Amino acid sequence: MRPEDQERILTEVESRVVSHSVTARDAGGHGLDEVLAESIYHETRRLKDESDSKPARADRAFWREVRGRLNRANEREQRELLGRVVSRYAAEICGNFDDRVYRLSTTVLPPALGVLLNAVSPRKLLGGLDGAARLDEAVVVQGEVEHLRALHERGTVILCPTHVSNLDSPVLGFAIYQMGLPPFVYGAGLNLFSNPMLSFFMHNLGAYTVDRKKKDPLYKEVLKTYAGLTLEYGYDNLFFPGGTRARSGAIERRLKLGLLGTSISAYVHNLERKAANPNVYIVPATLSFQLVLEAETLIDDFMKEVGKSRYIITDDEFSKPRRIWDFASRLFGLDSKIFVTISRGFDPFGNPVTDDGVSLDPRGRSIDTSRYVLVDGAPALLPQRDVEYTAEVGRRLGEAFSRDNVVQSTHVTARVIFSLLRKENADVGLVRLIRVGGSRDDLELRAVYRETDRLLDELRGLSSRGGIRLGPTVSSGSAEEVVDDGLRHFAIYHDSPAAQRRGDRVFATDRMLLFYYQNRLEGYRLERTAGLTPALDAQHASLGTAA
Amino acid sequence: MSATIAILGGGRLAQAVAAILEPTGAEVRMWARRPAARRTLQKKLTHTTVADSVHDAAADAAMVFFAVPASGLREVAAEYGDCARGDQLVLHATRGVESGFRLPHAVIRAETCVRKVGVLGGPLHFKDLTSGRPLAAVLASRFDETAQWVRRLTQKTPVRVHPSRDVIGVEIAGIISNVSALAVGMVDALGLGDTARGVILTRGLLEASRLGEALGAEPSTFAGLAGVGDLIPRKVAATERHHKVGELLAGGETLAKALEAVRGEVEGVLAAAEAVRIAELRGLDLPLVHTIDMVLHGEAEAAAAIEDVLRLDLDLGGGLSARM
Repeated sequence: MRPEDQERILTEVESRVVSHSVTARDAGGHGLDEVLAESIYHETRRLKDESDSKPARADRAFWREVRGRLNRANEREQRELLGRVVSRYAAEICGNFDDRVYRLSTTVLPPALGVLLNAVSPRKLLGGLDGAARLDEAVVVQGEVEHLRALHERGTVILCPTHVSNLDSPVLGFAIYQMGLPPFVYGAGLNLFSNPMLSFFMHNLGAYTVDRKKKDPLYKEVLKTYAGLTLEYGYDNLFFPGGTRARSGAIERRLKLGLLGTSISAYVHNLERKAANPNVYIVPATLSFQLVLEAETLIDDFMKEVGKSRYIITDDEFSKPRRIWDFASRLFGLDSKIFVTISRGFDPFGNPVTDDGVSLDPRGRSIDTSRYVLVDGAPALLPQRDVEYTAEVGRRLGEAFSRDNVVQSTHVTARVIFSLLRKENADVGLVRLIRVGGSRDDLELRAVYRETDRLLDELRGLSSRGGIRLGPTVSSGSAEEVVDDGLRHFAIYHDSPAAQRRGDRVFATDRMLLFYYQNRLEGYRLERTAGLTPALDAQHASLGTAA
Repeated sequence: MSATIAILGGGRLAQAVAAILEPTGAEVRMWARRPAARRTLQKKLTHTTVADSVHDAAADAAMVFFAVPASGLREVAAEYGDCARGDQLVLHATRGVESGFRLPHAVIRAETCVRKVGVLGGPLHFKDLTSGRPLAAVLASRFDETAQWVRRLTQKTPVRVHPSRDVIGVEIAGIISNVSALAVGMVDALGLGDTARGVILTRGLLEASRLGEALGAEPSTFAGLAGVGDLIPRKVAATERHHKVGELLAGGETLAKALEAVRGEVEGVLAAAEAVRIAELRGLDLPLVHTIDMVLHGEAEAAAAIEDVLRLDLDLGGGLSARM
């Protein structure tokens, strides 16, 4: 980001958030003192659990001062104090320099830091590592790449990927680099900044910091305002609409649309100031991995009782550099592909757009989208209306994710074995089957091949109708090849493979992992032909309750 | 209010809406498909402009009202789609479905760029207008500004608009009420009395709720004005047509003859068939709708079939959506 833009954006974040708080107060909402009191409450609570560090000490001192001044502040002083808090939050969000990263980088990884600072190509960076195939061969960027490039020229793009793993960020950073696009602005969790291996990619993503431990509503408003302003300044953004990594392994269907709503506010503000390129485009990207680095932790978290699962996980496989290294080298050693599929984009109202950035109605007629945001003849924000528009975008994203999901051999193999296990143990409840197992955990290999053959037929039919995408082995391989490839992948990374072949039988050695990988094919009604009910219901509630 | 309002359709509903809007100060432009109908309307309506095309009626309108039956909705919506704008509010009061149980709001959405689509439901006893009694209606739209705007528009009229966000629920309540009207016609022709009438109407509502919930409606909608509030069959031509068809069928008439006798759209016939189909797909139990569909198509005899439905347990425990 250009420094002059950064400065202007910071100033504007402060003025917008403060004036929004004042307007809300004047309309009968919380007083500024109440807004500040809530900030103090949330931050003091958070800091209680923070270990002693320089930033934590500075934070504590800051909030002590705010508390002291608030007690005797008049209205003008409250406003000034609010401005200081907003400004502090904003500075923290956009300053992506992390003290921990810096220390680690300078002491443990000086050569890597040198490489990063010189911004050499990731090809060279990874090409020199033993055992790892070249990243550009492993990451397949496909789909509507030209369309994305065209939209980038016509307006501001929000790339919305599915979220499976913390490795999504570097993969996307690489994909953006490979597509020849400039860095996308991206809100990354603090834990990503603390991993020095990712620094290069974070640079490529133009990352800013999101501290998910901060629960203060004011902090969240500052975040949204900051993201919205970067869009208004023409910086392409990357939002993960799932909010967090999909715990179940399934394609996300319930999306968090709060941040996505900034597409409308940015568009309205662009229209108000008669910007040359006011349009904002939302482009879905679906990621597909054969294996997922954090699969064990994620599915374990999913299976926890509702309310006990963690929104933030900091101690998973991603926090262990050695584990990432093993994962990447073994995955690429099998010539495995990571697919990044770009879908066609739409406007902030969910209408499809042409390469020229023109919005179309369902019959292909062009639309003047500025009409959607008129209030008494002028563009304006209307929160309830805009939430509905964004909900439409959420539906379009869900459809694109479902259509552009690339099925790989691990998904098919897990699906087949898990379905056969369910049938073999029809009298055992799903949760019990996953946790404890049924009366039989092994299957005849021939039965696995037969069921794979049937499922492949169905998937290939669905794919020919544009309902899903297939990876190379699933697309043209025989049932035997698909199962063998799936089992080979399971064997190379996880502590306990999801399934193993012994002679002419297949053993479900980790049912949780099988469940995780098979979930990638949930939501396509494939279970109906297998005579089963969905393993995941719409809310995933039945599992949580039963667990 | 100085807004322009387009009414697409020239039938009784369209004329009733034009009459309601007369004191609002809005400019009302009406369009009817047949030129002869337009000429008649031109002579009959003094405060309404009759437009020669959908474009002339709707292009500059702030609100567009569809007063057409489900069978003609797609065609008119497609024509309107040529001039539709994203800031326009669109209302309809269609109580029918397309094949595939495609709901009216989905048809309008599929043919146009508009988002702010609303449905009018509830009793809408237009004949009360002549006696000066207020009319009550539910206006369901995902966009709050739709109901707010219509409330402002109708504040000087006898219409009381109650807002809701449950478009699907209000549509399904209206659609299944037509099927119930067919059933009540049969009950009346068979002389089964008011108790049977009450049971059938309650069952119709229960099944509407069950179907609605499966398709994403709020169960509470069926306990409100669009559901319970609409239980007493409306004194409007469409409902009376359904009632009459029910009576004729119970009297031994064939569907073709019964439809011929009433002249006009009887949307409940297709609605029953489509509801049965979607219920089968989704594993829903809709015995009244299923029975009416069978009687309509000569697969069951009305008297015995209605008696069978009356004998079923009407379990409302746990709310209208309770499973049986």
